[in-house]
Amino acid sequence: MNSGPALVSILRQGDTLVASVHTALDDSEMIRFQNDLVRQIGEVRARGIIIDVAALDVIDSFGSRTLRSIADIARLRGATTVIVGIQPEVAFAMVRLGMDMGQVPTALDLEEGLAYLARLRAVGAS
Amino acid sequence: MRVLAAEDRIEPGMIEPYAIATVRNVMATMWRRDDREVRNRHRVFDPTQPDDVENVLVASEEQLAINEALRRLTDRERQVLLAHEVSGAATQMLADEAGSTAGAVAAQLKRTRARLRVEYLLALDHIEPPTDRCRPVLLALSSADRRRQREVDAARHLLECDVCARLSEPLLDRGPVRDDVLHVTIGADPDIVSARRAARDLAAQAGFTGTDLTMLATAVSEVARNIVRFADNGDVTIELLERPRRGIRVVARDMGPGIADVEAALQDGYSTYSGLGLGLPGARRLMDEFNLVSEAGHGTTVSMTKWFDPKGSA
Ligand SMILES: [Zn+2]
Repeated sequence: MNSGPALVSILRQGDTLVASVHTALDDSEMIRFQNDLVRQIGEVRARGIIIDVAALDVIDSFGSRTLRSIADIARLRGATTVIVGIQPEVAFAMVRLGMDMGQVPTALDLEEGLAYLARLRAVGAS
Repeated sequence: MRVLAAEDRIEPGMIEPYAIATVRNVMATMWRRDDREVRNRHRVFDPTQPDDVENVLVASEEQLAINEALRRLTDRERQVLLAHEVSGAATQMLADEAGSTAGAVAAQLKRTRARLRVEYLLALDHIEPPTDRCRPVLLALSSADRRRQREVDAARHLLECDVCARLSEPLLDRGPVRDDVLHVTIGADPDIVSARRAARDLAAQAGFTGTDLTMLATAVSEVARNIVRFADNGDVTIELLERPRRGIRVVARDMGPGIADVEAALQDGYSTYSGLGLGLPGARRLMDEFNLVSEAGHGTTVSMTKWFDPKGSA
């Protein structure tokens, strides 16, 4: 994203993309993250996306909206997004703010997120 | 507002002793790094207390210097400083009275304190600066304004001018002017993150924890974004309050186009445009107090407060 240490890392694990946000992102960085991720969905034909936001100490209206729109775009491209690692204080503030993740599934951590996607796949296969 | 009222009637040379004593405490704390001292600055110097007796002689010298320094301020500067430091008037209240904004008053107070320190040091040593360049240099040092220091070429002047070189020591050898007020200039996306970090840091120092910190930081994020989106630039001032109890006040100020219908802007779903949709009503829900003043063509000022809850919250 820029010359400094990576703000976000996106790793591929089978047909799943795991995106970890490492630090607070400003609005433009958030949009760049959205674009990078959406591009990679197509490149690797991902079916599942996990966004790990455990490192974020604030998810404000713009942050929530961007995460939701990533999930919406991914869904239109055939991938399911799970948001994992929302900190308890952050969750509390989001509720007070009036934001939530809408229809986007959330899970406690990366492991739970992967389990969620595995269950979906199992249901789809049967 | 007793001091502000009284100040109109008295000669500048006859400022009431208790006002001088309080300002002396403000001055005394300027050279201390212990921030607890800064927060206790309203403790009034009392020469009848045994601990203070041996300080009386020094104090009278200092009082004369403070008196003289106060006299050299403009009437307006002196009024606002005394109202704030002695009577404890909040910047917002002073702003309302002057038809200004809290951010502007806070900036003015900062300049005034910087001037007061310079004039105090000059008065204490009974000297007039030898050149025209001295005061601007000393002021730039006193306000810790690095940009201004470069503009007036302070470093070079200190090499050439013995008086300023000597006075620069007490001016530089101190912590920030006040470590309980932070200003963040808002002009672009990264400033939103800087503003909420600053708020979080100051609040954490003041004892805020957990959810309260996150709610404060989130609210600051929303009002700062509002400035970037709708006004291009402005500033956010974050201030630690001690009265009526401990809290953090955030004042977000811009000179943008203003909000035509404030009531509507505070309703959820007012605009589909990112920012106003949830930003302001959301920020209001995250804080304990929220006040928005906007005038078409003259900008918007949001001031909001979160009170410290020693129990912490969820
Ligand atoms: Zn000089």
